[in-house]
Order: sequence, then C-alpha cells, then structure tokens
Amino acid sequence: MLVKLIMLTAFGGAFLTWFLGKTSSRLRDFLAVIVSLAVNVLVALSYGKIQEIHWITFLDLSLVLRINTLSWFFAIAIQTVTTLSVIFSLTYMKGKERVDFYYLMMLLCNAGMLGIVLSGDLVSFYIFWEIMSWSAFLLISYNRGPALAAGMKYIVMSLVGSVAMLIGMLSLYTNYGTINISALAALGASASTGYMIFILILFFVAFGIKNAVWPFHSWLPPAHSEAPSPFSAVLSGILVRMGMYGFLLMLYVFLGVKAFLDLKLGWCPVHYILAWIGAINIVVPTFIAMFQNDSKRLLAWHGVGQGGYMILGVSLGTGMGVVGGTFHIVNHTSYIALLFLVVGAIEYRTGGVRDLNSLGGLIKKMPVVFIGALVGACGLIGLPMTNGFVSKWLIYKTLILDGHPFLAFAALVGTWGTILSLYKFLHNIFMGQLPEKYSNLKKAPFNMQLPIIIFSLIIIVFGILPGIPLKLIGAIGSSFGFESPGINIGGIVSETGTLNTINIFAAFLVSFILVWLLFRAGGKKVDIPQDNSYAAGSHVPRDKYHYTVEFYEPLFRMIKPYFRDFVDEFYMQLVKALEWLSERVRKVYCGDLGIYVIYIVLFLSILVISKIGLKLW
Amino acid sequence: MVTAFGILEIIASPLVALVVGIFFLGLFRKMMARIHWRYGPPLYQPVIDLVRLFHQRGFSHGTLFDLGIVVSLAGTVILVLFVPIGGMCALESSGGLLVILYLMLFAPLGIALSGGEGANPNISIGISRKLILALSYEVPFIFIILSLMSYYRTISIVEIVNAQSNFHWALFSPLVLSGLAYFMILPAMLGLRPFDMAGAPQEISSGTAVEYGGKYLAFSKIEHALALFIGIALFVNLFLGGGNILTFLLKMLVVFVAGVFVHAVFPRFRIEQATKYLWFWPTMISFVSLILIQIVR
Amino acid sequence: MDRNQIKKWLKSPGKMAHKYSLWAIYFCTGCGIIEIPPVITSRWDAERFGVLPAPSPRQANLFLITGYVSVKTLKAIIKTYEQMPEPKYTVGFGSCPINGGMYWDSYNTIKHLDKYIPVDGWIAGCMPRPEAIFIAVTHLWTLIDKGMAKGYVKYREQYGRYRENQEMALGRLEWPPLFPLKDEND
Repeated sequence: MLVKLIMLTAFGGAFLTWFLGKTSSRLRDFLAVIVSLAVNVLVALSYGKIQEIHWITFLDLSLVLRINTLSWFFAIAIQTVTTLSVIFSLTYMKGKERVDFYYLMMLLCNAGMLGIVLSGDLVSFYIFWEIMSWSAFLLISYNRGPALAAGMKYIVMSLVGSVAMLIGMLSLYTNYGTINISALAALGASASTGYMIFILILFFVAFGIKNAVWPFHSWLPPAHSEAPSPFSAVLSGILVRMGMYGFLLMLYVFLGVKAFLDLKLGWCPVHYILAWIGAINIVVPTFIAMFQNDSKRLLAWHGVGQGGYMILGVSLGTGMGVVGGTFHIVNHTSYIALLFLVVGAIEYRTGGVRDLNSLGGLIKKMPVVFIGALVGACGLIGLPMTNGFVSKWLIYKTLILDGHPFLAFAALVGTWGTILSLYKFLHNIFMGQLPEKYSNLKKAPFNMQLPIIIFSLIIIVFGILPGIPLKLIGAIGSSFGFESPGINIGGIVSETGTLNTINIFAAFLVSFILVWLLFRAGGKKVDIPQDNSYAAGSHVPRDKYHYTVEFYEPLFRMIKPYFRDFVDEFYMQLVKALEWLSERVRKVYCGDLGIYVIYIVLFLSILVISKIGLKLW
Repeated sequence: MVTAFGILEIIASPLVALVVGIFFLGLFRKMMARIHWRYGPPLYQPVIDLVRLFHQRGFSHGTLFDLGIVVSLAGTVILVLFVPIGGMCALESSGGLLVILYLMLFAPLGIALSGGEGANPNISIGISRKLILALSYEVPFIFIILSLMSYYRTISIVEIVNAQSNFHWALFSPLVLSGLAYFMILPAMLGLRPFDMAGAPQEISSGTAVEYGGKYLAFSKIEHALALFIGIALFVNLFLGGGNILTFLLKMLVVFVAGVFVHAVFPRFRIEQATKYLWFWPTMISFVSLILIQIVR
Repeated sequence: MDRNQIKKWLKSPGKMAHKYSLWAIYFCTGCGIIEIPPVITSRWDAERFGVLPAPSPRQANLFLITGYVSVKTLKAIIKTYEQMPEPKYTVGFGSCPINGGMYWDSYNTIKHLDKYIPVDGWIAGCMPRPEAIFIAVTHLWTLIDKGMAKGYVKYREQYGRYRENQEMALGRLEWPPLFPLKDEND
C-alpha cells in the first residue's frame, strides 16, 4: 500500500507541478520541493518492509511492485539526491527558460528511477527504465548547443542497451514462462552454461551502457558536462547506478552466488572477466580525468572511474566484496553529487564559467562551497574519516586476502590518479590569485549551501561511524546468501584484520588539538595580503599569474599518448563508416525518372527470369 | 579496552619519533659536512633552528594557510601511532597497512592546501613535482606492499613484523627482489637526492616552503623529521624485521646512513627523469617479485 | 662562543637561538658576493656557527648587503627586507653601504644605506676578506646579547621617516606601507 502511494505521489506530483506551475512560478517551486520531500518521507517510512503488490494487468501479465532491503537502499539514495538537487535548482534555474519543463522532467526522471527499484517484474522494470532514459535525454539536451550532440550520443547508446535488455527479457519469458523477478530468482541457477552466458551478455550490454562500464562509457563525459549542474548531480550520482542495481539483480538474484562463481567461459571464470573490466575501468578513466581542463568533464570522468570499484567489488563474489561494492554506490552518490553541486554554485555566481584555467582564488569569496568541495574531494580520494575510505578498505581487503594482487594494484593506483586530478580541481578553482573580474563575487545563496552542507555531513558521519549504513548493507549481503562480516558501529571486526574508524578519528582529533596548541605557542603571526609574495625582490603583478595552467606538464608529455580515449575514437570511426555507407546507399534515390524506369525494368526482368528461367519459385 | 600501557605507548611513540627524527636531521647535516671535508654544525643544531623559528613572527596568508600545515603535521603524528616502533605499536588493530598507506596522504595534501593559499608560482611548481613524484614511486611501492601482503597473507603490519622474528627477515626470503626495489625507491620516498626536486632550495626557492617563516617553517621541519622517521621505520619493519627498541633504532641508523651516502654523491634528477626511472627499474623488479610470490604461494 | 652553556639557554632561549642560527638571505647585491661562497663552503665553513644561506627571505633572519647599492637594487633590497619575519638583523658589508665607498660621487648609487633600511653593523673594506665576516658575526652575537641589535624595532617605530626617504630616492612605491603611518597633517 505504501509502495503504491510512493509511486502515485512521485508520478502524480510531477504532473501536478507541471500543470499548476504554469500559473505561477513560486507555486511551481514550492510544489516541486513539497513533492520531493513528501516522497522522501514516504520512502523513509517504508524502511524494513518486504512486500509485493500487484498494480496493473497488462496483456494477461500481472505487473507487481515490490520492496525489500535492496530496493529500499537504492530508493532512499535516489530520493535524497533528487530532493537536494531540487532545492539547489530553485536558485540555479532562476531566470532560465522552460523551467516548468525542467521540473517536470526532473521529477519524472526521479519517479522513473523509483519505479525501477520498486518494480517486481520485468515489464514494469522495462517501462520505468525507458521513462527514466527518455526524461534524462530531454534534460541533458536542455541547454541546446553542444548539449544536443551530447544528448544524441547518450540516447543512441541507451537505446542499444534498452533493446538488448528487451531481447533478454523476451528470451527469459519464453524460456521460463514468468516475468516476476522473485519467481525467476533461483531458476537461473539451473540453466545451461550457454544460456546463462547469452543472458549475461545481453544484460551486461544493457546495464553496462547505463553504468558507463569501460567499453560503453563514451556517452558519459559529454552528457554530464553539458547537462545543467543539479541534473548532472542526479545523473552522475544515482542514475548511472541504476545499471549497478541491474547488475546486482542479474548476478545475485537471478543467477545466485554459486552459479555465478561457477560460471566459466571455456577455462576462464566469468567473474574474473568482470573483475578485470572493473580494474581497467578504474585506472584508465581516472588518469584521463587528470588531463581535463573543464571542471565538469573532470568530474564526469571520475564518475566513470569509480564505477570500476563497484563492479570490482560486486563481481568478486565474496561477502566483504559485495558489501564494499554496494557501500561504494551510496558513497559515490554523496561525493560526486556534492562536487557537481559545487561546480553548479560556481557556475551560478561567475556566469557559467567552467574552464579551470580562468578561475582562481575563490576560497575567499565562497568559503562554504570550498569546504564542501574539500570534503567531497577527500571522500573521492578515500581519505580516512570519510565514507569512501571504508568502502575502499573493504574492497582492498577482499582483493588482497583472496589472492588477486594485480586487481588490488589497479584499485590502489586509481587512488593516486584521483589525488592528482582532484588537487588540480581544488587548486584551480579555489586557491591561487583571485582574478580582478571576480573580486566582487557574492557568496553562494543559502539554498545552494544547504545541499552542500548536508552531503558533507553525510560523508563525514558515514566515515566516522560506518556501522550505520553497513548494517543495512550487511542485511542485503545476507539476503544474497553471504555471511555478513562482523559489523559494529565503528567498522568491521573480523579475524583477518579489523577496521576501527572511531579510533582513527579520536587519534586525529587529539593530535590535531595538540598540534594546534603547539601552533598557538609559537611566535604571533602577521597577516599579509596574498599578493605580498616572494618574487625575488620584485612586485608580483595582479592578474598576470595563473600558476596551474599545465600543472602536470612533465607527466602529461610522458603518458598522454597512452591515455587517449581509444574506445570513443573507435565509436566515432564506426559512426563515420556508417555515415559513408548511408551516403552511398542514398545515391540510389537520384531523382532521375529515367533511372527509376530502368530500376523497374531490371527488377521485373529479374522476377521473370527467376520464375520462368531458373524456376526458383 | 584502553590500558595504562596502551596510553603510555600512545604518548611515547610520537615523542620517540620526534627525538629520533630531529637527531637524524642533525646527523644528516654533520655527515654531509664531514663528507665535504669541513666540520659542520653540532648534532643539536636542528633544535637551535627550531627554537629560533618558533621565536620569529611568521607571516600568514589566510586561515587555510594555517590550517593546512596544522592538518599536515597532525596527520603525520597519527601516522606514527600506527607504525610499530621497536616492540610497541600504539593503534595496531585499526586497519593495518592499508590505513597506513592512506594516512600517508594527509601530509602532502595538507601542505598542498596550505601552499595553494600562498599564491606563489614556486609553491605550485613544488606541489606539482611532489605529486608527480609521489605517483611515480607509488607504482612500485604498491607492488612491493602487495607482494608482502600476499606472502604473509595478512594486512596487519604487526603480524608481518612478528613473522620476521629470529632473523627470518623478509630480505632473506623470496621477497629479496621486493626489498631491493624498496631500497631503490627509498630516496624518492624520503626526499633525498637524486629525488629531492620537490623542495629544491636553489632551483625553485624550496618549493612549498618558500612562503613559510617562523612557526610555519618550524612545523614544516618537524614534519620533515617525522616523515623521515616514518619512511625508514616502514622499511625496517617490512623488510628488516622489527626487533626490540634498541635493535630497531640501530637498523634505522644503518639504513639512514646508507641513504645519506646516496644523497651525498648524486646530483638532482629532473622530474621526468625521475618518473622514467621509477616506472622502469623498480617497477619491473617489484613486478617480477610479485609474480614470483604468486608462483611460490 | 657560549653555545653549550645550558643556563643561558634556559634564561633567554630566543636570544641564544637567534645567535646560533643566523640564516642569511642569499641575496647577491654587488661585488661583495664573491666573498660569500668561500665562507659557506668547505674553505671557511660557516655552518659550524649555524650560518646557512636561506633560499627565501621568509626563512631568514640575517641580511648581508654585500657591496654597492644602485637605485634599482635598493627597490629589491627594501622589498626583501620587508618580507623577512621579525626579529631580523642587517649587516652592511663593504665600504659602499657605509658612505658610498668607491662610488661616492656616482648618480646611480645610494651613499648612506642607513637612511633607507636600518643597519645593525658595518664591515669596512673593499672587499673585506672572509675572516672579516666571521669577526662580524661574533660582534653581532655580542650586540644581540646586550640587546643592542634593535634595527627592526627602529624600522617599525620610525617607519614614516624611512618611507619618506625611500620615496625620495625611488619615486612612487608600488607596495603599500608596511606599518600604518602616523600622519601629522591628518
């Protein structure tokens, strides 16, 4: 009952906001926030419920909605990100055009995502998947200009995935006679290896394209950079992770743990292939992110890279790995959404500037935004006391102790690529000299600061007390059939090494206080303005220095030829080849009546010869 | 769960690290002077320098300038608590070697944040070189750590140390190639020549420390001393067996003197030469060692 | 040299530390800089007294003006002096900062450096030998002991006078006043 109410409020609220918003913009803003908050409350209230409800009959098939721990986990993440993005968009979208269309699509996308995780059978899954994909496409192309090309790339690849998923679903239905996911739950384990591989490939294409797994990732950087920033936060935070939800369903609900681990392609276990795809997915995009000069593109490449951690964790098939990979999903949501909102606040105040080489010194003007960016960057790197550290620790531990050192190497090297690129991000935007044209910048408005503060709090609280989300994720792991690792409020307790984040936090606090006291005991400091800097006796001119253009130049010269996006270039070549072929085929329609008569005569003569002469039919 | 001995360990570890680190700084200057055929300052000269720096009134460029250096030193201090020193390890059961790997990020990040606020091109060049150097030596370092963890099947550094008691040093086991690779990257981790381009005094006016005066420079020097201590302590723990406190300090002295000899003889690499070297020889040797360990196990 | 007298350290650690850790800015003013490399290298090892070359004025507490001061160099000297943290000491090295020396009638040199930045001690000579630098360092120690090396305090208290002189020699200065100026006509 509650589930139906959630879906009704989500969809109904979207259309209500659009209709009533045509009268007054304040009513529309108010309604958008109220609808999101209402759905948020409803989702939070349905914690711990496990039920299945029939909602419609379609073509003699009973479509059901379903909620269990995995669905609730994703639903609360979806709804929180959307609510905070809607609050953020209240000021971000002021003065832009077609704002009612924006809110309609945002809320519709949110309703679609909720539908995906709350659906209990394949057809409703597909319906909601398509609603989400289409509304996302319309929002990505919202800004026109280069956004149109980005949206086109996204929708073409997404459609390929959807078609693959449809074929997979049809095959499952014809094979097993049911579309209900719970009924299909253990049936996959008894299928033949060839059929399992076939289904796995189809669904891997579908969910891999949505999750931007490495061979299918090339839609993500342009799409996330050209979308409006609050929607980029939703896109990168949770929309691509619908692919991860699909993976979890596919691998652990449909196939089951044993069948998945025993599945082999010839001599090679399938989960190794998936793990290696995850490893490549971590290293290559994280290093490509270092080369970007556009702040949103840098973050978008990190969105691709962190997905690799999730695939790596989930495809290992151990309890700790699944817990680590799933925890990383919600962690990544919190910090990438935070970083996109930070870039959105900067864009709003500077009038749309995203180029890292022209910003600088904004820490003095926007301190709250800087603190949010710092916390988000620390989370993305995985510093201790942030939630990213806990999920990465779990993934590393399972990799090392189960004897996969080369995968562990890929995972650890990814961290260093993240550090380099995020330091460039922080430095270029917030530190260094403040250009003259930004010396009158105002602080970010409160309803932009609020989502940033809330996300930062989530990152730190989940980092110091990871037991809060880990209990829920442990329950998800148990529902898949793993024994959950010993979880207490401060971390993991197991005989192969414990993690105690409260200890780390307490030690850091005490040493910070001691060092701060030592700092105060030193000679009194003298405050000087920033341009009073050592320049060998000369005066530093304002607005002439930007110290981080070509920041990692020596490294770029060495590794840039190896870290181009080869897959994207391959796809572009494919598109060019298709265009060439279509050009040739188009020449058939030459518009010349005489040639058309020759076509007719030729075709008729072929028919006559094949009937009378060769007796083919 | 917190015993009196535990609290004693927590207080004593950073003090031991500080004293030994500052002694190493003084020993460094004395040894370099003697190699140059001059007398050199007394061994307690760094203490004099630190007192003088605390007495001076340094300049500050803003709040982040102050906070960055405090965070950097705090991060290094708590890193000392996780590394076993002699027989004691203050916070041993809180995540093992992986936490150490990640806590080592606080120091350069703190200095990078504080230096970004300083708004000087030399600082940016220094940070860029430091980060690129860190990326360069992390690649073989990760292979080495993974070989160790795979061979001893644990992620806890205390267990690795305990497994090396009675002269079963990791250096004498199939991990000898990893030990060799670690010794090759040790100057890069400690900031000794040929890899000291991040804080080059004449070339980029000491990089990140160019705007540090007074207590900021004092903190930077203390952080350098602690980082020296932690770098050598990690090597001694992982490859030369720990031992009780006296043997431990003796081994650290031997490794440090070897490092100073390397420093005295070599010129400074450019950063791309350093990256090329670190990604070729030590990486290859530690990679071969990892494959060897996989075969042996 | 009373470096190893613990009682004096405990009584006034700041003074003793400044004496035995004099880091000189490696600022090569004029012809006198040629005398500095033998001082800091193996021949006349200055490091045993605690004297080191510092790469940046922020890290230094001793400023050696080694040689003649042209008008262009004066700008750099003033900027560098103001970038040093207090307490700091200045030593004029050679005859030219004292009274113009060899360039006493040149249009382009500064004859009396003391008018523009406060100088604590002078070393006469053209050029003085490196041993003179060591004698100067020991004299500076005596001055610090007696509390007479107060050039930086004088700079702070009489900044108006110094700034006036600086503006007379260099024209309009690009940097704002280091200390708030007390204006009698305000």
